[in-house]
Amino acid sequence: MEPIIELKNLTKTFGAGGGQVSALRDVSLAVYPGEIFGIIGLSGAGKSTLVRCVNLLEHPNQGAVLFHGRDLTGLKEKELRMQRRKISMIFQSFNLLEQRNCLDNICFPMELAGIPRKEAKQRAMELLETVGLPDKAAAYPVQLSGGQKQRVAIARALASDPEVLLCDEATSALDPKTTDAILKLLQTINRERGITIIIITHQMSVIEQICNRVAILDAGQVAEIGAVEEVFRNPKSPAGRRLVSPSMALPLAEDMPLARIAFNGNASADPIIASLVMDLGMKVSIMGADTRNVDGKAFGTMLISLPEEAEKKKTILDYLNAFAGVTAEEV
Amino acid sequence: MTEKIAALLESWGVNKALEQVEFLLDPANIPFAIWETLYAPLLAAVFAYLIGLPLGILLVTGEENGIRPMPKNLMRVLNTLINLLRSIPFLILMVMVFPLSRLILGTSIGTTATIIPLTVAAAPYVARLVEASLREIDRGVVEAAQSMGCSTWQIVTKVMLPECKPSLISGATNAAITILGYGAMAGSIGGGGLGAIALMRGHGRGQTVVLYVAVILLVILVQIIQTVGTRLCVKTDKRITHK
Repeated sequence: MEPIIELKNLTKTFGAGGGQVSALRDVSLAVYPGEIFGIIGLSGAGKSTLVRCVNLLEHPNQGAVLFHGRDLTGLKEKELRMQRRKISMIFQSFNLLEQRNCLDNICFPMELAGIPRKEAKQRAMELLETVGLPDKAAAYPVQLSGGQKQRVAIARALASDPEVLLCDEATSALDPKTTDAILKLLQTINRERGITIIIITHQMSVIEQICNRVAILDAGQVAEIGAVEEVFRNPKSPAGRRLVSPSMALPLAEDMPLARIAFNGNASADPIIASLVMDLGMKVSIMGADTRNVDGKAFGTMLISLPEEAEKKKTILDYLNAFAGVTAEEV
Repeated sequence: MTEKIAALLESWGVNKALEQVEFLLDPANIPFAIWETLYAPLLAAVFAYLIGLPLGILLVTGEENGIRPMPKNLMRVLNTLINLLRSIPFLILMVMVFPLSRLILGTSIGTTATIIPLTVAAAPYVARLVEASLREIDRGVVEAAQSMGCSTWQIVTKVMLPECKPSLISGATNAAITILGYGAMAGSIGGGGLGAIALMRGHGRGQTVVLYVAVILLVILVQIIQTVGTRLCVKTDKRITHK
């Protein structure tokens, strides 16, 4: 399948001379039609810059942004504006026009596209229905809660009939319950309209809940990229590990050998550590543990101490790896 | 009637009371002065906005991080010019602009002639007011508009100006009052109006009653403009919930 959005070797630096900051360093990734693609990273990792490069709100210093295989960076301004209508965006701070009521906010992109007022109004009403606010047409943004504002923003984003929806920390300003509802709405939109969604977030829970694939961004670089399940089960990069199990990224006793055990959801009910101690007669300490629910399956990571001797280490790792759905490795 | 009021004022120790009362009660004088007080500044305000509004917009959109950056040198020249015009005291500016008034209107004296110096003085002030209003807009809102494919013109006309309307109205109220004040000052170079009356008759000829009446009328005019402006501003602002 052809990617709908492809970023190739994006580099972006801000400032000049000594105060220069590189926000993106040679970032490449591809997003395929119909998927919900997450981009996660700690603040300052370059997520927002990256997503702004997709619709060229931010121009990369180097690299290409391909939309349906066509490089947007080379387009004339007018042509770029036409393409931007196919790539909608929602924001952390909603960014609604505060002097326009909800209906007129949703009509705004259609106004730009020259759609007749009557038709636009009707479509806006339908979109309000879609996002669950049919009675808020005449309300002004100030009268709405955060969740409602984001719903209006989503309706507005859908008004231009986009192929891609960019979400820049769209749920970061919302409480957990509202976040949940907004994510469900995004999922519905993705399923029913086939809109490709790119989500920028620093919340692992957002990725877990709706993304198919995820890219982990660390200091302006893609640390790893893959299916969400895969990355959760076995994060390969230090940044990935930090995000998946933050408690386990803490520096422990410096030279203590450790093993990381990953459960992929099939085995976490078995008392693996207890079995290990009893069967092998070796003592291990649990240094940290973290499990979470991904796609209805329990995933977990556990950190245990290992004995110093290489032979014993191997015995333990072999023993653990013999369990179905468990991978253990020395870290 | 006139004599009675004059006698009363005389009894309070007012000099030349009859002359003053006759002047004030003559229907040709005060209503015409009010008209003169308003018409030159109002016309000047219209012209000042014709020049200042685009300039103010340019100051915001044309800066380095604006939506349509302009050459740095152009922006520098523009900023300096505005600061320069704003730093010249109005009385001096007025005299300096005489040749321009003569060129455009054929005269540098009279109420109509004050429109030119008033415009020259007010336009840079208006530009700064508009600039300040437009800077209030959230960068994110502009970004959202850009993400929807807005052109620079559309961002200005459909996003910036409508979103800043309440602030622009409040700025215009300020501008109107300031220009009115300048206009009163322009009375000193042959412009008419309440300012001229207060200055010439009131101050010059020692007609204190005329002075006070003229000043009180000016105060009332300012109050009316401010009240209307504030009401309009609050009424248009959809960020305020009216219950």
